[in-house]
Amino acid sequence: MDLDRFNRLLLESAGVGLALADPESLAIAFANPRFTEWFPSCEDTGSRLDELLVGLDVERMRSRIADDRPYRVELELKANRRTMTVAVDVKRHQGDGSDLLVVECQNITKLKELEYMVESYSKMVERQNRDLRKEKERVEKLLLNIMPRTIYEEWKEFGVTAPQRFDRAAVLMLDFVSSTDMDIAADPPALVAELNDIFTSFDRIVEQFGGERLKTIGDAYMAVCGVPEPGADDPRNIARIALRIVRYLHRRNATQANQWICRIGINAGPVVGSIIGVQKYVYDIFGPGVGLAARLEALAAPMEITLAEDLYDLIRDDVTVHERGEVELKGFGTKRIYTLEGMSDLAISSHDDW
Amino acid sequence: MARSVLERYGGFPFLSRVVMAFYDKVLDSDVLAPYFEDVDMRRLIDHQTKFVAFLMGGPASYTNEHLAQVHARMGIDRPAFEVMIATMRETLEDFEMDDGDVASVIHELRVRAPWIIAAPGQPAAAAG
Repeated sequence: MDLDRFNRLLLESAGVGLALADPESLAIAFANPRFTEWFPSCEDTGSRLDELLVGLDVERMRSRIADDRPYRVELELKANRRTMTVAVDVKRHQGDGSDLLVVECQNITKLKELEYMVESYSKMVERQNRDLRKEKERVEKLLLNIMPRTIYEEWKEFGVTAPQRFDRAAVLMLDFVSSTDMDIAADPPALVAELNDIFTSFDRIVEQFGGERLKTIGDAYMAVCGVPEPGADDPRNIARIALRIVRYLHRRNATQANQWICRIGINAGPVVGSIIGVQKYVYDIFGPGVGLAARLEALAAPMEITLAEDLYDLIRDDVTVHERGEVELKGFGTKRIYTLEGMSDLAISSHDDW
Repeated sequence: MARSVLERYGGFPFLSRVVMAFYDKVLDSDVLAPYFEDVDMRRLIDHQTKFVAFLMGGPASYTNEHLAQVHARMGIDRPAFEVMIATMRETLEDFEMDDGDVASVIHELRVRAPWIIAAPGQPAAAAG
């Protein structure tokens, strides 16, 4: 078999579509069987490259070729009911007295199909990831409502949290004197909405001073400073929070029909903090620090803040108080108790200031 | 949580081979191909990838309303649907999928018939 015949056979049987065209007129001078199969009208006399290959950017092709660079384009065509994607490469060949454009076409349909599939699947996975992320954020937000962030991080990482002792947690206990007397039957949703509004405002005050709202039980509210991260200013901050809560309620009551009258006890003392529950988690603190705060709250007059010597001794230089003498407190012995009247930046001794 | 069919067979690498083979068989079928003559290749592959992933419990979700919407204008009749089922079954068998898993995928497909077939029980005119 001579070389010419071999080359011709190769050209005819190749899976690649090959054609030669005139660089100026773009008239097709030669096309192999594959090219003819894909572009049947190339057999018409005088057919031109730009007519055959719809989507060919002639300007760009000419400028690329003038720079002696190949021009490449992907074209879609219909063949046997199927959409085929063909990658077309056009190069200029000069030499042996000839000057021609060599057009090489490869069937890249499978590649294209796979590309579309990967695109489709990755979008699907991205969407799923987005949904999962949203769900995770939602769950995280819920969990952060029932436990401090550092406890949540520990719980997330280890699956458990160890109960922790805090020697001087600053605790605030609040209860409403009159809310049970309000006409709940008249409009329960309105009452709940008001309480929600009030507790939300308390939360903001507590957050502002680095505290943490632990829980609400009915109309009772409990917050703490120094759990899970103790700070030197915790005792002062709990006093600041208590004063601002009273001021907020005074202001609110001045403009609203329902009067919300609170009693507050604040204290600094030892507590244990832990996640309680296996199925229903809640982060809670308990211990003498909490017990005393509750006793003090019960002793507070309406719209007053009570504290005992334990906390007073820590913040005496910063607060003004009214001493109420010694009181026997069940489980805590005799304690000297005080009513908090103000601090350097906020006083509630004079009601004219509200 | 139980692993989905797709997870057990290796996820995307498996899905891509099934979808490619299924796509080829559908377009080679004299019954099925006419339905897709005017459908853009990119859209068809997108739909088949998502739908086959969905049938295998993958990361896609189709509501019945969405399926009905996608197939509304295609006028698929019951015989064509049956050919599609047979083609899918054949494809899954070609990839040596376990009989139980084939049955589960085919079942997922079959229960969606009311939203894929244009007028269930009535021979509609084939498109194309």
